[in-house]
Amino acid sequence: MVASVLIVEDEPEFLRRFSDAVLADPGLRLLGAVSTGAAALALLGAQAPDVMLIDLGLPDVDGVEVIRRAAQRCPQTDVIVITMFGDDGHVLSSIEAGATGYLLKDAAGDRIAASIHEARAGGSPISPSIARRVLMRFRLAPTAPPPAAHEVSPLSERETEILRLVAKGLSFETVGELLAISPHTVVAHVKKIYRKLAVHSRGEAVYEAGQMGLI
Amino acid sequence: MPTPTGATIVQGAGGVATRAGRGGKRHAWLLLRRSFGRALRIGLVALVGAAVAAPSQEVSQRLEPTAVEVQLSAAAEPSQLAADRWAPGTLPDNWARSHPGMMGPNAWYRIAFELPPRRPGSGSWALYIPYLYDGGRFWLNGEPLASIAQTTASTHVRWERPHLIVMPDSQLRVGRNEVLLRAVLTDPGANLRLQRMTIGPSDELLPFYERRIFWVRTMPQGAIVTCLVVGAFVLFIWWRRRSEVLYGLFGLAAVLWSIRTLTFVIEQMPSPWWPWWRAVYHAATGGFIVVLALFAMRFAGVARPWLERGLAAYWLIGPVAMLASGGRLDSTVGFVWTGGMIPVGLALVGFTAWAAWKYRTGASLALMLAVALGAAAGIHDYLIAWDGAFRLPEVFAGWAAHRIFLLHHGANLLLLVMVAILTLRFVQALDAAEELNRNLESRVAARERELQARHDEIAQLEREQAAQDERQRIMQDLHDGLGSQLFTSLSRAERGALDADGLVQVLRECIADMRLAFDVAAPDRRGLRAVLGDFLFRWETLLRDAGVRLATEIALPDSLRLPPTVTMQLLRIAQEALTNALKHAAATEVRVTVRQEADGSLQLQVSDDGCGLAGASARATGRGLGNMASRAQRLGATIEVESLTRGTRIILRLSRPGDAR
Repeated sequence: MVASVLIVEDEPEFLRRFSDAVLADPGLRLLGAVSTGAAALALLGAQAPDVMLIDLGLPDVDGVEVIRRAAQRCPQTDVIVITMFGDDGHVLSSIEAGATGYLLKDAAGDRIAASIHEARAGGSPISPSIARRVLMRFRLAPTAPPPAAHEVSPLSERETEILRLVAKGLSFETVGELLAISPHTVVAHVKKIYRKLAVHSRGEAVYEAGQMGLI
Repeated sequence: MPTPTGATIVQGAGGVATRAGRGGKRHAWLLLRRSFGRALRIGLVALVGAAVAAPSQEVSQRLEPTAVEVQLSAAAEPSQLAADRWAPGTLPDNWARSHPGMMGPNAWYRIAFELPPRRPGSGSWALYIPYLYDGGRFWLNGEPLASIAQTTASTHVRWERPHLIVMPDSQLRVGRNEVLLRAVLTDPGANLRLQRMTIGPSDELLPFYERRIFWVRTMPQGAIVTCLVVGAFVLFIWWRRRSEVLYGLFGLAAVLWSIRTLTFVIEQMPSPWWPWWRAVYHAATGGFIVVLALFAMRFAGVARPWLERGLAAYWLIGPVAMLASGGRLDSTVGFVWTGGMIPVGLALVGFTAWAAWKYRTGASLALMLAVALGAAAGIHDYLIAWDGAFRLPEVFAGWAAHRIFLLHHGANLLLLVMVAILTLRFVQALDAAEELNRNLESRVAARERELQARHDEIAQLEREQAAQDERQRIMQDLHDGLGSQLFTSLSRAERGALDADGLVQVLRECIADMRLAFDVAAPDRRGLRAVLGDFLFRWETLLRDAGVRLATEIALPDSLRLPPTVTMQLLRIAQEALTNALKHAAATEVRVTVRQEADGSLQLQVSDDGCGLAGASARATGRGLGNMASRAQRLGATIEVESLTRGTRIILRLSRPGDAR
């Protein structure tokens, strides 16, 4: 089944690069290639792509906001955020907004397509530093502040274990070997973790808004 | 009515004489209580003034005969007296002056008085005599009236107290009455003095008697106890704090004065003790003056050791002379040596006046006034005691006959002033200590703040230095790595020596290097293990996409952190090795092993199963190896390149990773 892809990137060079990578892959269909958040939102209102590749630094709307709207309107769309360095705080913000994957900006054409396919296959990449940040976010890291009374980690024990192993720098393969699961199962767990992080973040935002008397 | 002790205390109203030394304990207790209450009352009265003390009858019936008759006789009883040998005399009488050279066993006085018709219920009559130092016997109208013990071979007496002798109604008669007094004159040094006696109703005389009792007996008793207790207490303080010499001097003065004042209380003493007691008395009196002088000098902050030694030496002369002479020099010592204390006292007045002028404090002024009063009292007493030796104005002679000594009270005042001074000093010392504590606390707090500020400053400088170092490192890094590479590549591209693939290669290397910098400079300053994790995670994707499997083996404690420059160089070496394996070795598997040995050294191994050094492009690998070697050298690490049966292994050893730069 051919996956439809929406690309949101304001730099023409990269818009072209990503478009070329999608067009070059017979398993992918380019639904749209836009350079503004407004255009992306307009398109999302009309059609739901299978995958959205998005750069955060858009000229009009914050990329994270576009991801949040996309997650609301088209929950089935896999959002992959384009990042220069892969471990900056923007990636975590994007995941919290609903992204489930990320792609280095200098990735080769093959890698771009491979990442899209991996996302469609239900897996998500995670680097040790992102794993550490996620653990911190759920207040599961040893150095994190203790969780508040209302907080109960939504992660399963297996998911927590995976995060801890990845954070230590172990590869997916090693983690899989240790837990006696396949690397595909590992990345599937990661995707579930990302989804839970998004839900958790929304819930936390609602809770905090309630605390502040906003709702 | 002869009494064996002669110590006569008389109840006025009932006319019943009660003799001390008689009666049970209960009686004595009652007496004591009564005496005490009366002493208090009389004391107050005496302090308020004589006018208040005066009897309140409308018309006084008191008689104070001045014209008497005197006879020197060996007779022991009135019946043995020669009726024709009476000679006229007057009261007060100083035998040594009125009858110079006349010595005999007894001096007899005949005092006649007319008893007026008494008002009904006016009570008994009595005879009041302010002092009779050596005792004597009284007869009234030929019948024995009272006896006040006299010095005998075994007992020495000296009565400071007054006497009130009740005259029984049965012995009195209306009209002329006659009192006979027999006083002892045996002692060649005897200094018989007889003050005017007062005859009148007991009620009228009692206040006079009690007033004098208060001054010559109650006050001294109180002074003895108070001085002894206070002196002992202050001496104890001095004993615990030897540096407080003023306390020691005051304590000594108080104890000396307490001993000296015993003279008012000790009325009878076994004769052999008498010279010793007199020596002690003189020592205490002179000692008090000397110690007072030392106190004043120390208080004024004047130290004259020679003067102090001189005073001490003079002080010793009196008691030593007394003891050496076995008491015979009592009068001489009393007159000459004690007299010598007068200049000392006057000098002391001058000195304290000078000190008061110099320091102008309330304490020094009070001390000066008290010393001046004390000196005046001392001179006054000296003149009274030795009234026979000086030609005194008539007015003073009359006063002298009362023999009221004042030094005692002056000394009490002096001691009070000294107590006040010491108390003030004590309070000031406490205040000073508290102030010092407060000062110290605030100084400690200030010092703490100072230290904290300096500490903060140092920490700030350290942070700035660290930031500076960091900037320096980044600049150096950009200069040496990225910058140098970009410039070289630019130059090569411009002269056409770099094709598109070469340019891509160069730029990818630049981006990879930048990523390394970001890994290392991550804001949360992660340990080596975490940085390696991100680095290898990236490489795993790259290698996988190229069909190369990456096997990693990392045995590092989570806590291991290295200086950023060291981490950076390590990662670059690893990156170079991985790049070589990816680009030139045609490997299917790359293995990266990083571990810390037991001795703390760090080992990085990158091995591949590729075609080895021989098969790879010699130029490219050569450049890569050269880079690695120079980086290793900068780290102080050793690097080995091994050719395996299949592939290559690069081993980097860093013996002291923490110290590397």
